[in-house]
This record gives sequence, C-alpha cells and structure tokens, in this order.
Amino acid sequence: MAGKRRLSWFHVAAVVIALFIALPLYWLIASSFKGAGDITSAAAFPPHPSGANYVSAFSGYSFGTYLANSAIVSVATTAAVLCLGTLAGYALGRLPLRGKTAVMTALLMISLFPTIAVVAPLYLLMRDIGWLNSYQGLILAYTALMLPFAIWILRNYFLGIPREMEEVAYLDGASPLRTVVSVILPQALPGLFTAGIFTFVASCTEFIVALSLNSADRYRTIPVGIALFGGQFTTPYGTIFAASAVAMLPIAILVLVFRRAVVSGLTAGAVKG
Amino acid sequence: MAANTLERRAARRGWVFASPALLVVGAVMIFPVIFSVVMSLSNVTVTGNGIGLSGITGANYSVLVHAPRYWHAVEFTVAYTACTVTVETVLGTVIALVLERLQAGRGWMMALMLLPWTLITVVSAELWGYIYNGVYGVLDAITQAFGGQGLNVLGTPASAAVAMGVADIWKTTPFVAIMVLAGLVMLPDDVTEAARVDGAGAWTIFWRIRLPLLRPALAVAVMFRILQAFGLFDLPYVLTQGGPGTSTESLALLGYRVLFNDLDFGPGAAVAASTALIVLVVCLAFLKVFRAQVGEQKG
Repeated sequence: MAGKRRLSWFHVAAVVIALFIALPLYWLIASSFKGAGDITSAAAFPPHPSGANYVSAFSGYSFGTYLANSAIVSVATTAAVLCLGTLAGYALGRLPLRGKTAVMTALLMISLFPTIAVVAPLYLLMRDIGWLNSYQGLILAYTALMLPFAIWILRNYFLGIPREMEEVAYLDGASPLRTVVSVILPQALPGLFTAGIFTFVASCTEFIVALSLNSADRYRTIPVGIALFGGQFTTPYGTIFAASAVAMLPIAILVLVFRRAVVSGLTAGAVKG
Repeated sequence: MAANTLERRAARRGWVFASPALLVVGAVMIFPVIFSVVMSLSNVTVTGNGIGLSGITGANYSVLVHAPRYWHAVEFTVAYTACTVTVETVLGTVIALVLERLQAGRGWMMALMLLPWTLITVVSAELWGYIYNGVYGVLDAITQAFGGQGLNVLGTPASAAVAMGVADIWKTTPFVAIMVLAGLVMLPDDVTEAARVDGAGAWTIFWRIRLPLLRPALAVAVMFRILQAFGLFDLPYVLTQGGPGTSTESLALLGYRVLFNDLDFGPGAAVAASTALIVLVVCLAFLKVFRAQVGEQKG
C-alpha cells in the first residue's frame, strides 16, 4: 500500500469523540423511523422503518403550526435585531460617543443575565398590553433579549473597518445613513452573517420566554410545542423525534453552510480577552 | 472650531443611531430586571387584571430563607454548575488538543461538533429521556446485554443528577472545544518551538507554556458556561421535571414554578432576583481570581 500512515493516539481519540457526539444524534434519527410497535425496541436499526411519525407530527399534532410560528418569530427577530443592532453597533464602534464603554459593559452584563430574572415582569407587561399569545409580543421580547450580544459582535466588526472609506463617502456628500448603508455595511457583511445566525439559532431554540408568553397551542414555537407534545403520562417519542428531525434540518444546514461565521462568532469573545 | 462642531454632530448622530436599540433593550430587558427586584421587595397581591404592589418588605426573602426547597435548589444549581463546567472544560480542552493535531477531517469534525450546539435543548432533553427510559431505554438495554441489570437512572436523585449532567456535557462540550481550539490556533508558535529546542517534553510544554497562554480563551469559555449553567431550566423541565421529588430542581425551574404554577409573584421574584445576584457574585469572583492570576504572571 502506498502512503503508510501510522495510526496514532489522536486518530483513535478523534474517532471516540466523533462517536460520542454522533451516536445520540443517530439514535434520534433512527428512532424517528420507528413505528408505534417498534418505539420500545433497542435494535440498532429500526426493525420496520416507517415514515408514520412524520405524518403524525403534521396531521395528528399541530407541528406544522409550531414550525410556521418558529419561522415567523425567528425571521422577524433576526431582521429586527440586525436593523437595530447594525445602527447601534456602528454608533458604539465608530462614533465619538461619551460613555460608550459604560453602555457596552451594561449590554454585556444584560446579555449574560439569567432569563428567569426577566420572565415574570415580561409576562405582566405583555399581559397589560394584550400581547400574550401573539407574534409581536414574542418578537419584541426576543429582539430585546438577543440585541445586546448582536451589538457586541457587530461593534467588533465595525471597529475593524478602515476609517478612510467613511471619510471618502463623507467628502462625496453622502448622508450619514447612506454612508452606513452603502459603504460600511458591505464591509461588515461577515459580522452581519455571524450576528444573524446567532440570533436566528437562539430564537429557534429559546424555551423559557416562549413557554411563559406563548403557551396557547396556536402560538407555540417548536421547543414549546415539542415539550408539551406528550400528555401527562405518555411521551410520543416517535412523533417528537420526527418533528425534531424536521426542525433540526434547516438550522443544521444554515449553521454548517456558514460554519466560518459561527466559529468566528463563538471566538469573538476570546479574541478580545 | 469646525472640527469640534463636526465631532459634536457625529456624537449626536451616534445617539440617534444607537437609541432605537437601547430603548428596546431598556424597556424590555432593563426595566423588567428592575421591576423584578422591586416586586421581590414588595407585598404582591394578584388581582383579577394584574398585580398590586404595596410597601417595602423583606417578607418574600424571609420565605425563601426558611424554605428548605429553596436552599436545595441553590445547592443543586451551584454543585451542578461546578461539576458540569469542570468536566466540560477539561474534556473540551482535550478535544481541542486532539483536533489541533488532526490534519485530515478537521473540517468534518468541526461540522459534527456544531450539531449538538444547534440542537434545541428541549429536543436533546427528550432524546436523553428516551435513552434513559427505565422500561425500554437503550441504556438499560445495553447494560442488560452485558449481563447487568436495568439502571433506570432517572429513578434515584443522585443518578438522575448525573444523567442530566451527561446530557448537558454531551451538548455543550463541543462548544467549549471550539472556543478552546480557536485559542490554541492563535498561540504563538515560536515560544513552543523555543521550548522544544531547549529540550522540554510535550507534557511540560503543555502545562508550563501552552496552558498559561491559553488562559484568556479558557476563561471566556468557562464564564459563558457558568452563566448558561446557572440559568438551567429546559433540561430539568423536560428530562426530570425536577425529580425524583424536587432533587434536580434548579433555581430557574423553582422560580418558574413559584411564579407561574403557584402564582406567588413575590417569592417567585425573590427567587429570580437572588439567582441573578448569585450569578453576578460568582462571575465577579471568577473574574477576580482570573485577573489575579494574570497579574501574577505579568509581575
């Protein structure tokens, strides 16, 4: 054989790590194809593979509604966070604001706060304005929840853009907003991707706020829908896993396609530290 | 003078740009935090169309102080955070070291490691609940195949806590590993190279040179994880329902139940506010220790 490569300890370790991560995921996918009779089977491969769970998730349970709700809330939240976050990130990163260090520190602390601390007042607030069980209520809550971290990511990207570009635009007579939109924004595109993906994934997976604000079946997001799928005593695992596989797919594809942006976002903190 | 005016105009524009975001965060995040603290210090009465607050009182906190269930939740959350974060940090560092050495297939491994991170925690809780199931779970099937007996890990307080920790470690260790790997990649090669030339072994190089240099990256990862672990809610809500009994009830789960199941807004707000306070103290303490160590190195 050509190219004899020695198998060293880290190759073995890498395989162990990969199995540790992949096996539970495999179990989720495999079990989603187990029919009602097989769900209690521990066989490595579904004895009678069937798509019945996928049908029942949409027909027997209102998973289609949850999917749509999650899509609406996550897309709207991401759009709102990117609009507001870009303007704020630009201002805090590049403009001579007094006390911006204080603002950034405050934002960092807020983004790290345990959500339980805000859930009750948020619930009361939304109830007072009649936004419990609505899209706008959850979108507003998520926008506020995700903005601090997004502003941090965006500000870091804005800091890295050469200042001359803005000055040229200014000398050409472009308005401030115009400068941001057509000169700065294209430069900050990787940052926008990163902030956007983080916001999107966080809004798709968030549980406690969605559970508190939108518990009515009509407005449940995927996590709330799946958590409340079962009755008191039985858990319809097959249906849950089929629904989970469907929910996982778009998020996983998005994250894998924009892997670089995600990794750079995860390490944004490390770079500063 | 012109420059000064320009500067002032830029600053004004800055606030115009920043204010929509800051207003939203202020109204929907900061105001609720303050309101939560106020609520925890008031007599709260639940009325037909809202709640009434009156007076300033420590009654809500004294309810907590005298509730064993609260102290148990504090203990559980702190112990759980300490254990899971320690294991995740060590394991994550090991994984990062392995990946760093890996020439082929690193991209695939990174992709694989991102998957648990994208998984909805509720889904991962359901998945582990299925694996741990005491009647037909695959874990018991495996132990029985090796001649053991069914474990029913969710059946006893200690094993349920460990089982939940494993589910948590599975989902978040890859996240730690990616952050540590990013730190490893950025370490300067020349220092390690110099040590190697001087005859230092791989082990010495790791402990004496690379680990100290890695400390900032590790600190950020650990901090992230401590904060997340303290907010622990989704996993016990779905996987153990805080049980058996209230043995795996985290502070966030207790707070949620007191607020939304018992509708005891005063004590509930006190649980929430005290959780936030504990997180703050832990983080400040962590930062202080970390800073002190960094300072020592420089000095």
